[in-house]
Amino acid sequence: MSVFDPSIESPIAHAIVAPDGSLSFADPALVALNQRAGGMRGAPLAVPQLATIARLARRLGIVVSRGVVVADDETDVDLWVRAQPDGENVRLTVSGWREIAAWRPARPSPDTQDDFHGSDTDWRWETDSALRLTFVTLDAGPKHGFDAFALLGQPLTAMFSLDAGADGALPILDSLARRRPMTAQPARLRSSGRAVTLTANVRHDAAGDFAGFVGAARMVLEDAPAPAASTETLSPTFTSGLDKALRVPLARIVANADSINAQADGPVQGDYADYAADIASAGRHLLELVDDLVDLQAVERPDFTLVPEPIDLADVARRAAGLLSVRAANAGVTITRPALDVRVPALGDFRRVLQVLVNLVGNAVRYSPRGAQVIVTVTRTQTHAVVVVADKGKGVAPEDQVRIFEKFERVDPSEAGGNGLGLYIARRLARAMQGDLTVESAPGEGARFVLTLPTDPARH
Amino acid sequence: MSVGPDPVRDVVSPYDPVARAEDARLRADARLTGTIADFFLDADARLDDRTRLMLAQVLGAIVGAIEWDIRRHAARLLAGGGATQAGEAMLKAGAGGVLDRLTRAGLLRDEELMDELIARVRHDLIAASLPVEVAEPDEASLLVRLAGVPDSVVASAASALLAAESRRRVANEQGSVGGSELPAELHHRLVWWVAAAVRDGLKSVTRESDRAITDAAQRSLAAHDEGERPDAVATRLAGALDARPNELPAVLVESIGDRRLSLFVAVLAHAIGIAFDQARAITLDPEGDRLWLALRAIDLDRPTIARIGLALSEADPRRDIEAFADALDAIVSVGVEDARASLAPLALNRDFRMALRALARTDRR
Repeated sequence: MSVFDPSIESPIAHAIVAPDGSLSFADPALVALNQRAGGMRGAPLAVPQLATIARLARRLGIVVSRGVVVADDETDVDLWVRAQPDGENVRLTVSGWREIAAWRPARPSPDTQDDFHGSDTDWRWETDSALRLTFVTLDAGPKHGFDAFALLGQPLTAMFSLDAGADGALPILDSLARRRPMTAQPARLRSSGRAVTLTANVRHDAAGDFAGFVGAARMVLEDAPAPAASTETLSPTFTSGLDKALRVPLARIVANADSINAQADGPVQGDYADYAADIASAGRHLLELVDDLVDLQAVERPDFTLVPEPIDLADVARRAAGLLSVRAANAGVTITRPALDVRVPALGDFRRVLQVLVNLVGNAVRYSPRGAQVIVTVTRTQTHAVVVVADKGKGVAPEDQVRIFEKFERVDPSEAGGNGLGLYIARRLARAMQGDLTVESAPGEGARFVLTLPTDPARH
Repeated sequence: MSVGPDPVRDVVSPYDPVARAEDARLRADARLTGTIADFFLDADARLDDRTRLMLAQVLGAIVGAIEWDIRRHAARLLAGGGATQAGEAMLKAGAGGVLDRLTRAGLLRDEELMDELIARVRHDLIAASLPVEVAEPDEASLLVRLAGVPDSVVASAASALLAAESRRRVANEQGSVGGSELPAELHHRLVWWVAAAVRDGLKSVTRESDRAITDAAQRSLAAHDEGERPDAVATRLAGALDARPNELPAVLVESIGDRRLSLFVAVLAHAIGIAFDQARAITLDPEGDRLWLALRAIDLDRPTIARIGLALSEADPRRDIEAFADALDAIVSVGVEDARASLAPLALNRDFRMALRALARTDRR
């Protein structure tokens, strides 16, 4: 479910801005954002930052990409906007959608997170997108026995030979595949054979593509014990390889199968259209599995942590319910979400909390009979913010209530869909945010999944 | 630079309340004059804090590096000649005070020196803020690619630029410089000023100490290699590349996307036949009018000019992207020949240009 990982594929919304500055087409997320900013159908785009970028792209006649922070109701949302002139119109592509608390300074862009001036760093290095060294701290050369000048322009591997981690994987591959910081890549300095540890941030270009590493190297004391390997974890190479190898082909299979099913290119015999729907659905299932395996690898790393930030749990719950409203409508299930004026401050990682709630509400919808209700409520205790997702499905027997949080276990193994990783990951995420995820249920009486998170003391 | 302390203060006894009061009054006067000048300073002329900080750092580092070069070498010469005490005095007397001394004397207000340093600082700050643009995924960045081409002249110049820019970056980040990286004339001037200030700080000046300082200064001058400056290396690379008119748009856009502003400037300078410092000045100018003319003079099309303008605006908060967008159609409508003609004054001999500038300035007085 890494759709909520900003560096991979955050939700992307599209819109077309007409020459008069109005939205002639927009995905629901942008329609909603525009309406909340006071915009109306046919009136000029009301979100000033978006309007400015669209106008600039139209006037310059070239693509303009920029990160902006947009006020949305009481919160600010971090967006990445790409405006491409297209004849008289401008096509907007908006990704990111990361909520930030209004009082916090905007997150520095990855490109400005350049400094690794940490005292435990022996020298710094940078590469371009082809992993060629574009910068090396010069005075490190004489100290550690290499010629920094000669290394400039050479591949990163001319400076270091990369070793596998304790789990047999190369962290750099994971970092490249997932476009996220590289931590603790063991390596050896080619000139001396001495062990170093490499860390790096990923630099993105204006289009959000990988533009290189901004890294640091730290000499390792030779007799330092190797970090204990966890036999339980999946190798990052395995998951990143899986991710790379499967995601694109699967997405293509799903898209093609969908368009066959929709008979977009002309009429198709009914049976075949149905087969195509099956193919698309199986493809989606596999895609979810890939997402979950990638997440699994992340949550099982010993150093996995999340940085809690103030969030409004009621808002996250409403968003999760909103995201699943189409699926619920298809299944004939209604989702009752917290009222719009309810606010429950909590501490958590916005995307991860959303991910957990989407999983819970998605499960509830899946196991609810047609015509039933899924009720999402949010409350606050003295120390915790609590969200309850209740369904009227067949429930979970007491003996199964521990099992369903295990890896590859399912509420109902006979039921189609799901891969047995969602709840396991959800609980790991909840606990990584100092919260928890539990279930209360009796067979035949539906289930109540309870997510607790610490409250934000600042907002009491 | 702040208003320096009054030299009178150095000889005033710290225990003389009357003299101290008078001293305070003088300082308050000087401070007020400075504050008034600061208040009425045109906003366009004012340095932003980042530039000001880095300028102070660079100036301090350059002067400091030359000062220590001179002191160390002079001390070694004196000590080597048996005058150990004089050598130690050379290291200690007024150590680190050269920058203040030169500021107080007003020497550092030298227009050419400050022009060069301000342009250099702005250039480096803008280059570091340019948005990265990856031309082709998995393809090495422009300069790295050039460093690997079979043409050894291009390849060695590109490697040299990679090295020179790394050196500059380390210097900027650590606030220390290896060399002044100034044009030879300015370096020459600065070395003798520093030498004079070092001598000025000595309690007793002897023939030996003068000779030692002179030798040390001359050694610093001899060691200065103008050709190692990033500007000079970039100019060399641009000359080796000698981009054809049909290659220019790609080279210019890619050098901006690779955040190699010095290469952009050098290629532009080479294409329109002007000096690097001229091309740098028009590239850094926030109004940009001369830059747009220069880009028209090499017949760049609308999207290319727009791309360059947008990237520079993202990197330089002084620029007005809206005004640029307003003017873009008018810029593109300028004919190549007209643009070339209007840039002709830039291509004049440097000394001739300076003389004309000096003349124009005296006219205004």
